[in-house]
Amino acid sequence: MSYIEVKDLTFSYNEKTNVLEAVNINIEKGEWIAVLGHNGSGKSTLAKTLVGLLEPKEGEIFIDGQILSEESAYEIRKKIGIVFQNPDNQFVGVTVRDDIAFGMENLCIPREEMLSKIDFYAKKVNMLDFLDKEPANLSGGQKQRVAIAGILAMQSDIIIFDEATSMLDPFSREELIKYIKTLHKDGLTIIMITHDINEALLADKILVMNKGKVYAFEETETIMKKKEIFTDSHLELPVSLDIANSLELSDKHKEIREKLWEYALIK
Amino acid sequence: MKSIIIGQYIPGKGMFYKLDPRTKIVAVLFIMISVFLLQTIFQLLIALSVAIILLLIGRISLLKVLKGLKPIMILLIFTFIFQIILNREGTPLISHPMYFTIFTLIFLILAFIIWRVLAKLLRFRFTLFFLFAGSVYVILRFVDFGDALIEPFNFAIYQSGLEMSIFVVIRLLIIITLSTVLTLTTKPTDLTQGIEKLLHPLKRIGFDSESFALIISISLRYIPTIFDEANKIMLAQASRGADFSEGKLKDKLKQVISLLVPMFIIAFMRSEELANAMESRNFVPGEKRTRINELNFNYKDVLATVFSILVLAGSIVLRVI
Amino acid sequence: MGIRFNQVSYDYSSFAQGLYTAIKDINLEITEKHEFIALVGHTGSGKSTLAKHMNALIFPSEGNLEIFGEVITAKRNKKIKYNNIRKKVGLVFQFPEYQLFEETVEKDIMFGPMNFKITQEEAKKIAKESLNLVGLNDSYLQRNPYNLSGGEKKRVSIAGILAMDPEILVLDEPTSGLDPAGKRVLMNLFKDINEKTGKTIVIITHDMDLVYQYFNRVLVMNEGRLIYDGDPEKLFREKDLFKNHLDYPNTIKVLKYLNETLNLNLNIYQKTLEAALSEIERVVKE
Repeated sequence: MSYIEVKDLTFSYNEKTNVLEAVNINIEKGEWIAVLGHNGSGKSTLAKTLVGLLEPKEGEIFIDGQILSEESAYEIRKKIGIVFQNPDNQFVGVTVRDDIAFGMENLCIPREEMLSKIDFYAKKVNMLDFLDKEPANLSGGQKQRVAIAGILAMQSDIIIFDEATSMLDPFSREELIKYIKTLHKDGLTIIMITHDINEALLADKILVMNKGKVYAFEETETIMKKKEIFTDSHLELPVSLDIANSLELSDKHKEIREKLWEYALIK
Repeated sequence: MKSIIIGQYIPGKGMFYKLDPRTKIVAVLFIMISVFLLQTIFQLLIALSVAIILLLIGRISLLKVLKGLKPIMILLIFTFIFQIILNREGTPLISHPMYFTIFTLIFLILAFIIWRVLAKLLRFRFTLFFLFAGSVYVILRFVDFGDALIEPFNFAIYQSGLEMSIFVVIRLLIIITLSTVLTLTTKPTDLTQGIEKLLHPLKRIGFDSESFALIISISLRYIPTIFDEANKIMLAQASRGADFSEGKLKDKLKQVISLLVPMFIIAFMRSEELANAMESRNFVPGEKRTRINELNFNYKDVLATVFSILVLAGSIVLRVI
Repeated sequence: MGIRFNQVSYDYSSFAQGLYTAIKDINLEITEKHEFIALVGHTGSGKSTLAKHMNALIFPSEGNLEIFGEVITAKRNKKIKYNNIRKKVGLVFQFPEYQLFEETVEKDIMFGPMNFKITQEEAKKIAKESLNLVGLNDSYLQRNPYNLSGGEKKRVSIAGILAMDPEILVLDEPTSGLDPAGKRVLMNLFKDINEKTGKTIVIITHDMDLVYQYFNRVLVMNEGRLIYDGDPEKLFREKDLFKNHLDYPNTIKVLKYLNETLNLNLNIYQKTLEAALSEIERVVKE
């Protein structure tokens, strides 16, 4: 059994149209998955159903062998955390310390243990010097890092990033990506919903959503070769691959094509 | 905006910062009650000097507290004047007729214009206000020529009136100072937690003090965000020709709506996202949680509590005697 | 005419940071005809503050600026009708949610023009025209703005500003949060409005690909100062953008990588995919 298994998942807000339709996904422990899709393709809805914020109409979700239900949601949320798009609307604490503690407080972790964990995880996301700062004094990128620390402190080993970089400027975005890379190296399972193809290229596998359905779910390198998947789903390929795909197939171009691929897949 | 310091926490060191918020809330409450029990100006003056000595020991700048008093100065002045005018008991200190003639009116208007013009030009607005009030008195008192518009009336200040007004003002002064010290030296989070812990016994009658404290602390956390947002919305609507400082009264209503609707809709979206974020981090309303901010009650708190109890006991004794 | 900044500085006081200087010694001129300008800079570089000066939403702490002949200084001048300045220079904020408040798209777009004493009938006509200008058809007029998609909301908010018929249009990060296809459609729309109506358009953006492909003038802000004003290509050739927390366009980065790894002699300054391709073909043929 895979670490995360989604079986025939269907979801709708109203009776008429399904936002998710018969979604089947298997994700292994430690994998980094990027989820791409046009606006309204069901990416964020998928993320919310995975953490039990939305209840599926049909289908089942298994996380680490345990089925997600109303009763098991509390246990499952210990394993899986989510960082949302808007940094301001998920910062619950009055200070950085309080916010990292929030999840642990809900798990009834003793205070002494919380204090040492806060220091440890704040250091991990380089926010140790900001523990007493209030959210108004933090940048968007810093708030997102605090959110990560809060999830890590709950000992979760799956983190979903629901367009977590989309409200950041390129610099903070790159910095956040740097931390996500470290998390991946540490063995965490990462599901990253994004619009940015260059971010998606960093993942092991890419899941393309189109109109509520899984349009493709393959290794990053394999999926990038199938240009039609991207054009069909109103997505763009990275510039380097666009060039590579348009080059003639002669031997003279072979070397250049290889380099363009290499560039696209630098991690 | 800048001068308002009531309810604002300013980081610092000193005795009061080290006290447990519960101690401070209880002590302030006790001392406030005591102040209400005191009956003579003399007792109140002693209380005021004790309060000032405490501030000095606690290394709280008097200047900051005074600045905090500024917005309520008007309230104090009005209380003072009301007490003086309304209280007509005891021996009169001053008693003489006042006149209101056509010339009085002219002089009053003149004084008013001079006051407004000077207030625009000079920086001593407060002093000017007092000068204006003084000149109103002088005009009413001495301009007795010309056709009387109303019958001359008697102006009197009675001893007990004066005493009473000084009494009330000092009492207000002490109370405001005390509450300023409380909020000045206590972090909002600590304050809410202090209140939560003090209200905890109410759980038996079904009052969920923890959720109550959480609601307060989340509100505190979002005040700057919402303030910032309101500002941006105002600018966005001003960009569409709805300048709040220009339009006519008729347009004002529409402008206010153009500010309020987006604010509410954004707040609504925010609360939904916030609820999701809290739920995904395993928050279940009403369930038991541990707390990162623990209050610790030590010997200083014992001393402070004992002190406030003594003050309360003392004033009860004074009252009974 | 247009907008001219003379030695403008702005001190900002906020809840969080206290007093700090947001922009410093800005000298800048923007004419009201046919300009298409990108304004870039990392977060906190002062670009939004600069934009808010352009329609006198905030006043300079030092220096002054002239907006269509009116001189704006630190003090509010009773003789100046600030509303009229905002009619001439329209500013669209980043989030449409800050702006939309009426129950129908039509009424919302009418709000701006109605603040300038015109009849209901005229305002309705203008609303329809502005909506069409941003690429939405008449069926949207009676819809509730809050039920639209993110991209549609953005367009309605832009229509709300266009309805005042400004001579200069300033947009704060209009493409943020949209998918790549949505971005391109919107950028083409702006270019189209710029060409059709001759209005000057200033766009704040982070996206260097867009800057390179669409604009012929770029303003770069860094730590409150205007450090560059000119042609984008010259910017990419001359400045070290990484130092200013900015990025380079993807075509430049890709071609540079080819040059470095394969020892080629490509001219890396190619705006579009097609241009990059033919440059590669040229070098391969040699």
